[in-house]
Amino acid sequence: MDDVFKALADPTRRELLDALHESNGQTLSELEARFEMTRFGVMKHLKVLEGAGLLVTQRRGREKLHFLNPVPIRTIYERWVSKYAESWAAPLSQHKHDLEKEDER
Amino acid sequence: MNEQQPYAVIDGHGAMNVFEIYIKTTPERLWEAITDEEMRSKYSFGVGTVSEWTAGSEYKSGVPGAIEIAAGVNVEVDPPRRLVQTFTALWSDDVRAEGESRVTWEIEPVGSSCRLRVTHDQLSADANSELFGGWPMILSGLKTLLETGDLLDTPGSLRYAEAGS
Repeated sequence: MDDVFKALADPTRRELLDALHESNGQTLSELEARFEMTRFGVMKHLKVLEGAGLLVTQRRGREKLHFLNPVPIRTIYERWVSKYAESWAAPLSQHKHDLEKEDER
Repeated sequence: MNEQQPYAVIDGHGAMNVFEIYIKTTPERLWEAITDEEMRSKYSFGVGTVSEWTAGSEYKSGVPGAIEIAAGVNVEVDPPRRLVQTFTALWSDDVRAEGESRVTWEIEPVGSSCRLRVTHDQLSADANSELFGGWPMILSGLKTLLETGDLLDTPGSLRYAEAGS
């Protein structure tokens, strides 16, 4: 669990996860194109994310694809948040989401 | 990065999502938890899955008399390591319209634990995220059940349990 928090405590790594959330299963080259960083720099961040279990890779033909693995985040969520009924929390976080969307306009 | 991929090459077309979790258990117990109707229902929103678990056999997931969740064919059955299934979601008109996709379960022993990877692929590029959005909760519940014997007790995790009892 320390690994998960350490991995998430970096804005570039969160951006990498955002990129995969938006479009799952990208190659290193596709991910690299999104960042003003060397290929080596992106690889280092991907390695930290993989070590924390937040990212998994799979081969498709010759390509190595990177996938967001949301399961560790779900596990953390259950550890602390599930004590509070989801039926209460879900509409509230949706409300927060809606309000923030409005702010963006 | 680890170049020694233990997983088979997935030759799927269309969109793919991958879910992975480490569980302190044996491959045999993990296989049982995936294929035993009652155990399965304990971490799958109360939804049981019934099948003969032989290659080519069909499976059905649901709560009898309450709701049908999914159905398909067991394409590959290799206990306690690998299970490949076709997957057609049935719980709403929207998800039915998505048609057939594929779910691959892969169990890899790592020390005294197992790494379970669920790959849901052959999805349409703009697939309804409801189709695969339940996997994190299901896998997290599976880990809790095998490691502690407890059930997740969030309202969502028990959604259909009462309807079936």
